[in-house]
Amino acid sequence: MNEHMKRPFNKDILVITDLETECNQIISMLRHNVTERLHRFGAVVGISGGIDSSLTLALATRAFGPERVLGIMLPEKDSSNESAILAQKLADKFGIQAITENITGALEGFGCYSRRDEAVKRVFPEYDPATYKMKIGVKSSGLYTNLPPLFSLTIVDSKGNESSRRLPAAEFKQIEASSNFKQRCRMSMLYYHAERLHYAVIGTPNKHEVEQGFFVKYGDGGADVMPIGHLYKDQVYQLARYLDVPQEIIDRTPTTDTYTAEQTQEEFFYQMPFRQMDLLWYAFEKGYEPDEVAPVMELTPEQVKSVFVNFERKQRTTEYLRLAPIRE
Amino acid sequence: MTIDKTLIERKVVEYIGKNTHIDLQMLTPQTLLFKEGIFDSMAFVLLIDFIEETFGIKPGDEDLVEENFESIDSITRYIGKKTEIDVT
Repeated sequence: MNEHMKRPFNKDILVITDLETECNQIISMLRHNVTERLHRFGAVVGISGGIDSSLTLALATRAFGPERVLGIMLPEKDSSNESAILAQKLADKFGIQAITENITGALEGFGCYSRRDEAVKRVFPEYDPATYKMKIGVKSSGLYTNLPPLFSLTIVDSKGNESSRRLPAAEFKQIEASSNFKQRCRMSMLYYHAERLHYAVIGTPNKHEVEQGFFVKYGDGGADVMPIGHLYKDQVYQLARYLDVPQEIIDRTPTTDTYTAEQTQEEFFYQMPFRQMDLLWYAFEKGYEPDEVAPVMELTPEQVKSVFVNFERKQRTTEYLRLAPIRE
Repeated sequence: MTIDKTLIERKVVEYIGKNTHIDLQMLTPQTLLFKEGIFDSMAFVLLIDFIEETFGIKPGDEDLVEENFESIDSITRYIGKKTEIDVT
C-alpha cells in the first residue's frame, strides 16, 4: 500500500465489509486452482475440529459441492476426543463424506512417542508417559524485548501438579522433530486419498501460520492449495460465522492438539491473543509507525517496536520452512 | 586455568564463530547481536546451553533480559557477575 493511501490505523481495520464478495473470490480462485491449474476433480481436507480447517472445508464445499469433498479426521493417541466430535459435527453440517484414519500405529512405527519421551526424560528423569502429561511452550514475558523467546517443557502428574524447566537445545530439537511426525503422517494420508480420488489436498494454514512459520515443512505445510493463507485470524472467524460453521467450533480456543497436556496456540507459539496479533502484524506488514499504532493498541511505541523486531525475526528465521527445494 | 575477562570474552567470540555465519572481523564487543539479526532464536537457546556447560551458570528466568545478552560485552559482564569475576 502506498504511504499516502494508508487508512489511519484503528482496531476495525481488518473487518471485511463485504463477506459475500470475499467468500466468492476465494471460492472462485480455489475452483480455478484445483480444476484448471491442477486438473483435479475435488478436494481432500484434513479436519481437526479447529476453526481453520472448518472454514477451509466450508469453502471447499461451496467450491466443489459436498459430493466432491472428502473430510478426513486424523487422530492419534494424544488427540483430544473433542476434536473428533467437532470434526464430525462439521462434516454433518456441510453434508460431506468424512472418514477417520487413526495414525497412532504409523506414529509408533516411526518411534514418534518413544523418541519424544526419551528427550523429555533427559530433562525430567521422573517423567513416565503412562502417568504424566507433557507440553512445550514459550514464555510470554519475552514479548516486548529484542530477545527471542525460549521454550520450556512442562510435565503434569496425575494429580495435576505442574513442573516446568527451560528446554536445552538438543532436547527441544528432538521433541520438535519427533512431534513433527504427526503432521507429516497426516500429510501422507491426505495425499493417499487425494491420489486415490484424483483430488487436490487443500491446506488449512491461515496467514499467521504461513508467515510466522507455525507449520511443519512437508507436514501441514504440504498441500496443493492454501485458500485461507492470506487471512488474518479474525478474518477467519468473520468468514466462518458467515458460512455458518458450527458455533462450538467458533467458540473453541485454538489448541495445538499435539502434546498430551492441553495447550493453547497462544501458549505454544504466538505469545499474545489473536486479535492483538492480527492488528500488530497488519501494522508491521503495512509499515505503520509505532507512534501511530501504540495508542490504538494501548502499548508504548517501544513495545510496538519490540514486537515488530520479533515479527521480523520470526519471518526471517522461518523462511527455510517456506522455501521450495533449491535446484541450483 | 584461571578465568578472567579476556578468557570469557574469547570463549564467547569462539561460540559466536561456531554458531553463526557472521564474519568475526565485523563484530565489536558492542554489536547488538539480536537486534542486528546475528543471533536468532536457536542461537539464543544454544548460547544459554553454552553458558551453562562452559561456566557452570544456570540462568534463571529473571536473568533472561536484554541487558545480559544483547552484545559480547553484556554477555561477558553477565558471566563475570555470575562467576564473581571482575570484568570491569
